[in-house]
Amino acid sequence: MSSATFFEFIAQLRARGVIPDQAPPADAVERPWFVALLQGAAGWLAGIFVLVFIGLAFRVESTGAIFTLGSFLLVSAWAMYRADSTAVFLDQLALAISIAGQFAVGWGILKNYQSTLPAAATMLALQVLVLIVMPNKTARTLAAVFATVAWVFTIRLLLQPLSGEQFLFGEGHQAAAPLLGAWTVPITWLVTWVPLLAFTAWLIRNETYWMSSGLRAYARPLLIGLLLGLQLGSADAMPIDIFSLRLEHGGMPFSWWALFPLLSVALAMASAYGAFLVRSNALLGSAVLAALLHMARFYYLYGTTLMWKSLIMALAGAALLLAGVTLRKREQ
Amino acid sequence: MPHKTRPAVAKTDTWSPAARSRGRVVRRGYTAPRMQPKLKRGELDGLAEFYSLDSRRTETMLELAEARPSRAEAIHFFANCLRIGGVLSLASALVFFVAANWGRFAVVGRFALVEIALVGCTAVAFARPPPEFIGRGASFLAFITTGALLALFGQTYQTGADVYELFLMWALLGLPLVVVAQWSVASAAWILVLNTALALFCGAHPTGGLLWAAIESRHLRPALLIISAGMINLALWFALEVRPIGAAPDWVRRFILSCAFGFGTWGGVLAVAGGSPGYGESQFDAASVFLLAIAMAWVGSYTVRRRTDVYPLAVVMGTFIIVSLVWLGRAVEFRDEGTFLLLALWLVGTSTAAGAILTSLTRRWRKAADP
Repeated sequence: MSSATFFEFIAQLRARGVIPDQAPPADAVERPWFVALLQGAAGWLAGIFVLVFIGLAFRVESTGAIFTLGSFLLVSAWAMYRADSTAVFLDQLALAISIAGQFAVGWGILKNYQSTLPAAATMLALQVLVLIVMPNKTARTLAAVFATVAWVFTIRLLLQPLSGEQFLFGEGHQAAAPLLGAWTVPITWLVTWVPLLAFTAWLIRNETYWMSSGLRAYARPLLIGLLLGLQLGSADAMPIDIFSLRLEHGGMPFSWWALFPLLSVALAMASAYGAFLVRSNALLGSAVLAALLHMARFYYLYGTTLMWKSLIMALAGAALLLAGVTLRKREQ
Repeated sequence: MPHKTRPAVAKTDTWSPAARSRGRVVRRGYTAPRMQPKLKRGELDGLAEFYSLDSRRTETMLELAEARPSRAEAIHFFANCLRIGGVLSLASALVFFVAANWGRFAVVGRFALVEIALVGCTAVAFARPPPEFIGRGASFLAFITTGALLALFGQTYQTGADVYELFLMWALLGLPLVVVAQWSVASAAWILVLNTALALFCGAHPTGGLLWAAIESRHLRPALLIISAGMINLALWFALEVRPIGAAPDWVRRFILSCAFGFGTWGGVLAVAGGSPGYGESQFDAASVFLLAIAMAWVGSYTVRRRTDVYPLAVVMGTFIIVSLVWLGRAVEFRDEGTFLLLALWLVGTSTAAGAILTSLTRRWRKAADP
């Protein structure tokens, strides 16, 4: 990124005719990432408190009432955002109310459905709706992250249907009759992640196009949400056990399945590359952190013995080092 | 990206207590390089919207801002990722190997393997000393191997030591290797090991071992003990702020400060909540709250005087929001459902104020940095 200061940069834009000479100066200071994180986390917690307050105060019990209440909260949040986009307190309150509304709607839906797939699909639709409708960057970014997570669950549950009340696991930690047999795991991975990777790449490649139109209000939060989703979403694809490789397979001899959890690290590093392309140090840092967390998961996940895992990492390390040193020499 | 090296002017004109005590004129208006503005994507979006730029002009703006990495930069990034990824993979291979607790080797064989790895890494670091990458990587691996060796020792001989002692010994014995490595990755790993030791010590509240021997006569209350762990980090952060070194760039210093206020928040919550199941019930610990408040005020004042980074203020404000929220919850004693609304409004209010202050300071400090 250019090291020119803001006013030097504006002068350069004027000199190149990008902006008119007499154009008034813009005030373009973005909140630092940690401020957005602080406000987002506070908004989330406040949303839960709001929901508990409403639940206790109005004694809402039927699913219809919960759903209606959630919808009302979402509409209220939308109205607050629309009322005054410069009122910071109102924005933060709207975020809390929007989150409370999403929880309430989600609760209403989950209570109604006996099957987990429609619940995941409805949550995906809800997050996409929030992304489109809520006129606020933080709300849209959060919606994009959760839409990615809901997408991961939707695809997983579509190809590996679970029995009704087991949301994260099948009964006895077994997925119920995967549709595609032994190929279910790799196909689920491909169907889940390839479209997300392709969409992320498309957004980065066509940044100029959407930056110069009203689409920027949707595309930027979507891009950030996708990059975060690529880093963290794979943990949702295999919460504790690795897909349909059941717990009794713990400590089994090496098979190619043992390499599967490492794909999460690859996804995190793909996200790191995306963050590098958009010059976001915050996203790059979170991608590295996610990759390290996936490595820790690889250690704890069943699949093969630690000796095999050690050998895999030693070979991977040697290969990466060799490739890195070779690339560095070519670079010089 | 933060500046990695400071220009000469920054060394002489940035605020420092030493400079002040020598009576030198300190230019309070000067802002150190890392506050200098570099436009982020969100800001470029704002400019595109404000000036209604079409795609051609947006493209020119992105070019001028150097917002897209060149091919050479991309190759450099890849090479760095691959090399660092390779070193970390080898380190994890070593840890997995020791953790496997394999039964085919005799005790001597196990130790010999890990010790050979340690000697090998050290030899490579001597042959190709840091800051060469090979030397840095070897020193880092030697640091990890030290931890693995200590773990193997504890595992084999069942020494009965607390887990925190393993991490503490690792941090102490590995420090020379980290200093030699002169590498931010090694520094961050060392900080992580040290803080793991402190967290295990504070969390388990053991009554034995090295650290306990040093403090047992002082009868520290739990909250005070935890806040003291934060103070160790705070002292380290301050030392590195005053005397910056290449091995502890901005992100490492931010990590240290986050650890400091992580402990601060933990201790603060314990102090205002009046104990926890792990520590037994106790009263509101005014001394601990006072100490934490002093630390927060000091970091806040130091940051405002330096005007180089708003991150320390954000961490201080985060701690304040959490500790005050817990205090408020305890003060009103959850009498009715209205308490939850009060807590929600408190959260919204304090986070709004924090966001507004931090964004305003960012804007002002940036403007001051613009010549």
